[in-house]
Amino acid sequence: MSGSTAETSAPRWMLTAGLGVLVLVAAGVSLLIGRDGGGPTFGFGGPALMDVILKEIRLPRTLLAVLVGGTLGLCGAALQGLLRNPLAEPGLLGASSGAALGAVIMFYFGLAGAASLLLPLGAVMGSLLALAALYALAGRRGDFLTIVLAGIAINALAAALTSLALNFAPSPYAALEILFWMLGSLADRSLAHVYLALPLMLPGWLLVAAAARGLDALTLGEDTASSLGFAPQRTQWLVIGGTALAVGGAVAVTGVVGFVGLVVPHLLRRSVGQHPSRLLLPSFLGGALLALLADVAIRLLPPGPELKLGVVTALLGAPFFLHLVMRSSAREA
Amino acid sequence: MTLAAVSIDVRYEARAAVQPTTVALEAGELVALVGPNGAGKSTLLRALAGLVAHGGTVTWRGTPLARLDGRTRARTVAYLPQDPPVHWPLAAREVVALGRLPHRAYGAEHSPADDAAVLAAMRQTDTVEFAARSVHRLSVGERARVLLARALAVEAPVLLADEPIGMLDPYHQLDVMRALRAYATGSTGERSEPRLVVAVLHDLGLAARFCDRVLLMNGGAIVGDGPPDATLSSAAIRTHYRVEPFIARHDDEPLIVPWRALPNGSDSD
Repeated sequence: MSGSTAETSAPRWMLTAGLGVLVLVAAGVSLLIGRDGGGPTFGFGGPALMDVILKEIRLPRTLLAVLVGGTLGLCGAALQGLLRNPLAEPGLLGASSGAALGAVIMFYFGLAGAASLLLPLGAVMGSLLALAALYALAGRRGDFLTIVLAGIAINALAAALTSLALNFAPSPYAALEILFWMLGSLADRSLAHVYLALPLMLPGWLLVAAAARGLDALTLGEDTASSLGFAPQRTQWLVIGGTALAVGGAVAVTGVVGFVGLVVPHLLRRSVGQHPSRLLLPSFLGGALLALLADVAIRLLPPGPELKLGVVTALLGAPFFLHLVMRSSAREA
Repeated sequence: MTLAAVSIDVRYEARAAVQPTTVALEAGELVALVGPNGAGKSTLLRALAGLVAHGGTVTWRGTPLARLDGRTRARTVAYLPQDPPVHWPLAAREVVALGRLPHRAYGAEHSPADDAAVLAAMRQTDTVEFAARSVHRLSVGERARVLLARALAVEAPVLLADEPIGMLDPYHQLDVMRALRAYATGSTGERSEPRLVVAVLHDLGLAARFCDRVLLMNGGAIVGDGPPDATLSSAAIRTHYRVEPFIARHDDEPLIVPWRALPNGSDSD
């Protein structure tokens, strides 16, 4: 028995370590590659520029890719465990769309330009408001179905209000700015964005991580989870509160980056033996890796307008999602 | 060591699913909870497990269960729902190991005691041979035994099992009844202490043969409580199950077979 347990834990440890190494390598590559009007650039263009380019352009971009990708992967894995559904992802709860709406409102009133930090602050407020609305709609003891339905309602309302803001945008330029921001990007961010997102992400991650064993217990249903000493309501609000904080912080600095939270846990689930708790850390690392690679790929494209990260992840993720849906319906048939 | 329920009752809106009930159950007993469909057996079991809001109190060795913290309570009372889901295709051994969650600190690996408990539980339920297989690839009966092993692996002094043999073939029905007996008498696992097992059963013959005590429920109330011979009398079965039983003895053990459904209204109050 103990021998077979050791067998399964060795690859688990190796998977996490391997992903960690890959994240470090990808981060190194991300620091070395830039982009200007002529397409990708390599290195730092001379020792004089190195400090500025590294600290003010590439380091924030790389750090944010790790933080945002990791957040989305972690929260996706936790939500899939909570809802016991492989199709769940952070966008489901309305945290992303609420955050986007908050940011759009800042754009709309022209506050985004005045002080660049007002935009992320608006996003955080939006995410927290979406969570509060979810809490009010689903209630303290809300069941999972109610939460999903409330998430759909919040998403729809946030989308409607965002459209309203676009509709009444003071100028076509403002509308375009809003649209571009919503596409999700890591370009032109500063360390200030990192400092703004991190205080939201860290407690969010910790809340989600605290739910790990509760997610394992939920594998056997809510009654068994309760009888094992892990009240489903507690697990639920740890995951939802943590996700709202962390994803709110992520959307605040990058806009909406979809599908990372859906795809990454899926790709890794089999290699961790399907355990929801063992999926959390690898999904964080996998999400960070995917965001880094996508963001490096964007910089490597031939000259032209830079693709937005959210566009790339959606282009990769949507077919993957379709594949999942078709495979699960084929299995049921 | 006693699990005592004092005037507990469960109401679903206006309907009383369990009438005010007081009952004391002792460690070392294998108790059958029997009764027709809708008698309130599962609800009573869930109330004892603290999974449903109820009036009154349930105490273990004098301490109200509601006052225990989640983990202590989980280590005290193990509960096996009727046909619980397994949402991810975990290996059978991993499902059983979930029963050790209340014993493990956050992030801790399995201790030798955990491994021993998991293996003992799987041996008791004849599930060792498919320990590495995904539970989604097992038959319904095999899965039911894995889930029973999960509940046994908690090694709690109280085990509440809702229809643990409903899905099993005859061999495994007998074997699981033997395992539940062994669990109650404390002859399994590392620690050998008498434990309390309450199992909801529909097979009255097996209940009579293997259990020390039978609680008969009907209409949300306990209408019979005592040794099998007394509780599962011909008259009681006719009254509460509306069935004419065939009762005999074989190998000096009771044999009860529900023989003929009685016409509606006859022999009831």
